[in-house]
Amino acid sequence: MKQHPLCTDTEHEHSVLALPVPAGVKQEWAALQTRRQFLGRTGKVLGWAALASLLGDRAMRGDTPSPSYGQAAEALKLPHFAPRAKRAIYLFMSGGPSQVDLWDYKPNLPSLYDKDIPDSVRGSQQLTGMTTGQARFPIAPSHWAFKRYGETGTWVSDLLPYTGRMVDDLTIIKSTNTEAINHEPAIMLMNTGNMNAGKPCLGSWLAYGLGSMNDNLPTFMVLQTKLNTKENNQPVSSRLWSSGFLSSEFAGVGLRSAGDPVLYLTDPSGVDREVRRRMLDAVNEINRQTFEELGDPETNSRIAQYEMAYRMQSSVPELADLSKEPKSTWDLYGPDAREPGTFAYNCLMARRLAERGVRFTQVYKRGWDMHDNVTGILPIIAGETDRGCYALVTDLKQRGLLDDTLVVWAGEFGRTVYSQGGLSPANYGRDHHPRCYTTWMAGGGVRPGITYGETDDYSYNVVKDPVTVRDFNATILHCLGIDHNKLTYKFQGLDQKLTGPVPASVVQDLLA
Amino acid sequence: MSTRQRLAVLADRWLPRSKKTRAAWIVSLAVSLALLALPWLMRMDGKPHADWQQFLGRFHPLLVHIPIGLIVLVPLLEIAGSFKPALRESAGFVLALGFASCLASLALGFLLAYGGGAAGTVLSRHMWGGIALTIGALLCVLARPWWTSGTVPWAYPALLLSVMFALVWTAHQGGSLTHGSDYLTRYMPPGLKRFLPQSQANATSVSFYARHIHPILDANCVGCHGDSKSNGGLRVDSYDLLMKGGKDGPVIVPGQPDKSMLLVRVTLPSDHKQFMPAEGRAPLRSEEIAWIRAWVAQGASPAITALPGVPEPEASKEPPPQPVGDYSALAREIGQMDAGLGAKLLPVSSKPEDGLVLYTVNVAGNFGDAQLAQFQRFAPFIVEAELGRTAVTDASFETLAKFTHLRALHLEETGVTGDGLAKLTPLTQLTYLNLSGTKVTQSAAAVLGSMKNLRHLYLYNTPAQPASAAEQAQAK
Repeated sequence: MKQHPLCTDTEHEHSVLALPVPAGVKQEWAALQTRRQFLGRTGKVLGWAALASLLGDRAMRGDTPSPSYGQAAEALKLPHFAPRAKRAIYLFMSGGPSQVDLWDYKPNLPSLYDKDIPDSVRGSQQLTGMTTGQARFPIAPSHWAFKRYGETGTWVSDLLPYTGRMVDDLTIIKSTNTEAINHEPAIMLMNTGNMNAGKPCLGSWLAYGLGSMNDNLPTFMVLQTKLNTKENNQPVSSRLWSSGFLSSEFAGVGLRSAGDPVLYLTDPSGVDREVRRRMLDAVNEINRQTFEELGDPETNSRIAQYEMAYRMQSSVPELADLSKEPKSTWDLYGPDAREPGTFAYNCLMARRLAERGVRFTQVYKRGWDMHDNVTGILPIIAGETDRGCYALVTDLKQRGLLDDTLVVWAGEFGRTVYSQGGLSPANYGRDHHPRCYTTWMAGGGVRPGITYGETDDYSYNVVKDPVTVRDFNATILHCLGIDHNKLTYKFQGLDQKLTGPVPASVVQDLLA
Repeated sequence: MSTRQRLAVLADRWLPRSKKTRAAWIVSLAVSLALLALPWLMRMDGKPHADWQQFLGRFHPLLVHIPIGLIVLVPLLEIAGSFKPALRESAGFVLALGFASCLASLALGFLLAYGGGAAGTVLSRHMWGGIALTIGALLCVLARPWWTSGTVPWAYPALLLSVMFALVWTAHQGGSLTHGSDYLTRYMPPGLKRFLPQSQANATSVSFYARHIHPILDANCVGCHGDSKSNGGLRVDSYDLLMKGGKDGPVIVPGQPDKSMLLVRVTLPSDHKQFMPAEGRAPLRSEEIAWIRAWVAQGASPAITALPGVPEPEASKEPPPQPVGDYSALAREIGQMDAGLGAKLLPVSSKPEDGLVLYTVNVAGNFGDAQLAQFQRFAPFIVEAELGRTAVTDASFETLAKFTHLRALHLEETGVTGDGLAKLTPLTQLTYLNLSGTKVTQSAAAVLGSMKNLRHLYLYNTPAQPASAAEQAQAK
């Protein structure tokens, strides 16, 4: 019997995947199918629930699958314009470094010692639970003197003598400001552009948008610095290098700070390269069958990750082998750099990753959260990081890498000019301060030797050229050839982007 | 015969007979005289006057396009009218309308310049051009009947032609006032530019003023405080004029940046009535203000060459990148190179003319001269070659010399010794060359000295490495 073409209800059910519809629609359908199949089967087989949790929650969400490496860059037409930087190194100072003691020189403050900060300056600023009960807010001038460094004559604290030497290479932003006042939301905002967890971080956006230069190493790597002091170490979690709703291929891969850089990377005794290869091939085959059955794109990410791990078996030992570093390296980075997990070691590793074409390396340094005993702890933390930062920028510069590598130094917020807890000539504490904090950038795409933005006499409010976290991230993306408004990913019905829905702008004055 | 009678005879001979036309001529004469006298009645003294004058005056740039459109239409209608007579009938009306709108624009223009306190040579030219144009249009209106009736057939076409010239000239002066006098020529191809009269800018000046202060003022202020317009009687287009100041006194007080009016006005809040640059133009960048401040603080000397503690950007900019050709036809082969050799050719950006980058890091150890030679056919499209830590040798300089659009070349930690580096010298686009960690010697690298665009040469960890400042100090 001949059917009328529009009479669908008597027609056989066609496979949607065979219809001439756009590939994106098919993928979306396949993802939805995954969820329906999953829901359909859980009633019968509880084991599927176990599998689903093994696969991560994506199988249950049934989101649009994200394209893998290369596909994204091609489809998004990235980079949008010729980039000044091909890669970036982000030195994240977790905890909130004190701009008052490190960068933001206020010669008037010593004369205001122990005086209350005027209400007009403090305004309606929300306080944390830690100082909201304080009866008064006495001004605590920096315990350390400042000196002028470089041809630019930039004021830098005595805590950062090495950084002072390279100050002419830095683009210092004194007017960075955030909306969050506590660590977790603030650090999420800096890294993912959103205070709530679940969004991809800067490194994942870059990996997604720009793809890989070296297939043997992850595009986005995270180096954690091992703890030095027992106090003030706010935790950092893998949420900060999560790929959020992007494919987990784009998540940051961490190198451990002690022992093997990557666990279980070395083959167990009795297993050689060939056996490992055959095992992987078999696992991949099973994964491919799973993908055909369920159509969950995360399965493909798994295959890709197994393959990456296999290649890292040879690339990581080469990366971590510092025996060929010349003497000048150790002279520059200092003796700390020989010990894995120190900040200096991580800076050296970041340079080696940059040389090997890793797109984005993030070094985390914890311990900046000094609510009390600033004079006791700050010299330790500053001293631990000062030489590494200097060595990294100087090394990149002398090796010709700073031309196309962007280095960023930032924490999640600053610290208050007034003392938290008791103030004495010998010691004081500082609470979180979101209204202004100092950050710096160096290298590809930014203008060296400038200080941007100004704060008031109390280092409390920005009085000129404020830079929001959104603007900060938009500027980083710009240096890497990306228009922050165009690097988007459709999720939950929105064109999601790193800088979020509130308008952000690239800070043109920071650009070279 | 009395004088009076003589005048009557003269008038009889020269003035049109009909009473109506005679009245028209007399009124026109009066209007023309009034227009010619206007610049003396309302002297452009460079002082701002009433706000309402500026308010109305600012409609001048809007209204001024109406007479331009109408007057240009007139000769078109006259010519088209010889094929389609109905069009010629409308020409008279359009011409009259053109004249009327000329008068209105002229009036608003006067209010703008007088109210805003503008003055200067280009402004005067624009003003006289406008007056001449208006009178010309008026004469055209009067002479047109002679032409249509055939009594004096040459006067109207001649007048119309001169009005067209006056129109183009006046409009150009006006454009120069709003956009700056180099607006049309700034992006002119260099080949055409050499036919322009040379500007007086002195490229060899080395003083801080010539390198930094003058360019800032030239780019941001001279539009209203220069040769063409000198609002407030202030001109900043030369050092002497800058120091002389304006109607309200000097704008630069050497050694006292906070008392220097120029600095005060550019650092006001941007919504302040006295903020400069005025009229919504982009404010000065903070570093530009810092330069001016530092220069004034140091005594605002015209000769000082460098200011201690003031960073300066590199004086000369890198040459603009030359676009590469269209490689879209080779897209498949480019993809195959990745699959075959493991070295990738990736686009610099989504714009094909930005070229391709050659990445070899995946296969560094196995990538040698033979592999590089296989990329030769893509040579004109490759702007950057990342060959660091590969197995290429000096033999590759021969191949690389064919990469004519190469801007950056990475050869760090390869086996090159510099023998044959001279083959790279024809690469005029090359701005970056990294030879760190190679065996290149000082004498081998010396040939690179002739490459004037090569700004970033890295010789770290080579025999050719320049001694660091610390080592130099030790040697002493």
